[in-house]
Amino acid sequence: MKTIHRRAAVVTALAATLMLALTGCTNPGSTTPTAGGSPAAWPAEDTKLDGVTLTLWAAQNSNHEADAVISGFEQLTGAKVNVVTIPDPYEQGIQTKVATGDKPDLAFWQPTASMLTALNATQNLISLDGAPWVSNYTGNLANMTGILNNTRYAALVTTPAVIGVYYNKDVFAANGVTSTPTNWDDFITLAQTLKSKGVTPFYEMGADRWATQWWVQAQLADAAKSGLWDRVNANQEKFTDPTIQGAINTYQQLIQEGLFNSDIKTATFVDQGNALLNGDAAMAMQVNSFFSELQAESTTDVLNQKIGFFPISPTGNVGTYIPDQSNAVVAFNTGNATQEAAAKQFLEYWLGSGYNAFLSDQNTVSLLSTAATPSTVPTALTDVAKALDTSVGSMQALAIANPDLYINLANMIQGTMTPVQVAQTTQTQFAQLAQAQGAPGF
Amino acid sequence: MDHPAWFLIPALVVLVVFFFVPTIFNFVYSFTNWSSFHADIRFVGLSNFATLFTTGTLVNDLRTTLVYAVLVAVFQNVGGLVLALVLERDTRINRFARVAFFVPVVMSALAVGYIFQAMLKPTGALNQILGAFAGHTVNIAWLGSTTWTIVVVALIHGWKWMGLSMLIYLAGLKTINEDIIEAARIDGANWWATFRSIRFPLLAPAVTFNVATSLLGSMNGFDIVQATTSGGPGGTTELLNIFIFRTFGQGLFAQATTMSLTLFLMVGILAFPVIYLLRRRERVL
Repeated sequence: MKTIHRRAAVVTALAATLMLALTGCTNPGSTTPTAGGSPAAWPAEDTKLDGVTLTLWAAQNSNHEADAVISGFEQLTGAKVNVVTIPDPYEQGIQTKVATGDKPDLAFWQPTASMLTALNATQNLISLDGAPWVSNYTGNLANMTGILNNTRYAALVTTPAVIGVYYNKDVFAANGVTSTPTNWDDFITLAQTLKSKGVTPFYEMGADRWATQWWVQAQLADAAKSGLWDRVNANQEKFTDPTIQGAINTYQQLIQEGLFNSDIKTATFVDQGNALLNGDAAMAMQVNSFFSELQAESTTDVLNQKIGFFPISPTGNVGTYIPDQSNAVVAFNTGNATQEAAAKQFLEYWLGSGYNAFLSDQNTVSLLSTAATPSTVPTALTDVAKALDTSVGSMQALAIANPDLYINLANMIQGTMTPVQVAQTTQTQFAQLAQAQGAPGF
Repeated sequence: MDHPAWFLIPALVVLVVFFFVPTIFNFVYSFTNWSSFHADIRFVGLSNFATLFTTGTLVNDLRTTLVYAVLVAVFQNVGGLVLALVLERDTRINRFARVAFFVPVVMSALAVGYIFQAMLKPTGALNQILGAFAGHTVNIAWLGSTTWTIVVVALIHGWKWMGLSMLIYLAGLKTINEDIIEAARIDGANWWATFRSIRFPLLAPAVTFNVATSLLGSMNGFDIVQATTSGGPGGTTELLNIFIFRTFGQGLFAQATTMSLTLFLMVGILAFPVIYLLRRRERVL
């Protein structure tokens, strides 16, 4: 009799503990939105914030980006801003933290629709609608990015990267090339001419994988202009359809034609930078971070002399823009009105009276009509910024999801996937992500 | 000696919160649409499993994981056993050598991975050393082959954990009764005959432990491979855990959970027969 009671007691204890533990678990990321949506009033830049501490999450390559802004803001308002470095892979780290209910006041974040969706912006971020700096953006920057469902969630602070061709001016000059190509056919003809003269026309970093997608995306620039990604988003067009599949096939053909470096399978990002600087290859299809790598290896004077940039697309020189995490900052819906107002004030200062100090500290191109670009910025970077106005969005900027196209392309370079498999695998993953978002048509 | 049942509760709470609940949730979330894209979590039945098995990546990665685990188990155990036999006698040099071979076990796996990655790249230390001997520059991409890289990373994993296997084999060798060995020697058995017919069979419990932990442990491998190849080249070293990490990173939490459940089941399915077979070898003892 006693043992039966005892067993019952054990079972009850076990059941009770289990139930307690289970009921404690709901999605911690799901707080009800408070400030989101309505454009709340913007505080004055110099409102006193003594005793307020703001937390800014940054990646390993952006954790010093805001230093000048922070010290200026702290002096002006009495607030304190703590930068917390989230280790790479940054985006995954943030998504995981936010999903478990951990939120900072501010974070560097890729301002594209797909990445804002990935962060569940409508729930987790505060609206930056009515921000005073927006009307000061030059060109088309105000409408280019940072917006999801007609609400502004991200403040663009530096120029979004542009996919284009970085070239070695000395190699061009030595082979009698006097002007840069004005469309894709010219571009390939130029490469073939260079190859016939014994020069390696293109350099690709197959081992580090991520740059492989630029070749496909540059070929899609014209299609992107005529709504390719809208159709892909609605599942009316697929990666396996002729447009994208064709671009993948062309990339493969160019590699097979021998227009790329012979060590394409093992070459890394750093190898690519060195190859272009040393003139071992004539061109590299890349984005802004490639230029940062060149800057780390060389001086502005040498770079101005040696390295040029031109955007390329099938029918012309349309660049493809792809903002990244270091280009923009988002503010989180923390449920604390003081913190949220302070976060907005910080952004206001950054893109207001703090912007000049930021530009000279970072030596970067100005996005605002109210501030001038420092004269020390390398010419290739100002050329990249010029290309922005006529540029078109990348897959990351315009598609609702960002599948691992680059990994699949790298697999194609290694020979473990065919171009058809690249498109299929990418499409499957895209559909899976779109479905998880509840996108219509999937 | 009869304690009230509620004395169990503190220990039970720890067990339930840290072991049972995570495991149960691993099951539960596999049947939901949990993702970073929306706040609610709904049950979706078996659709995660259906999508996973219709795309080839999961099956491919499961195969890679299995090949990796078998290779690691072989390298780690053969290496560990050889080390144990070589360093069996308690001399000062052997004691030092044992410590030296055990050091990789306590090193950070990621650090090990990054060191090897740097050593094995085409311009890395290994090729430079080989070049010095060969008299010309050597440019082998040790982590660049779509066929052999998995063997290289398995070797690195085996090398890292070899010291632990060595320690366990050493302990096993020490427990063998000196009288048996002596009797064998008197009967005229040489070193090899003694090892094959007496010492190795008597090591059965150590073999069980070492093979089971290395095989099942490396099924859960991630860190070394992530640091050396990130699953490349061409996805040929993409272990299931790397795929899970990638999927989780895309915000598809439920799908990632489904994969980790698949891995859990696979480890479970493999564990029972392996341990059963190895245990059966111990019956002679």
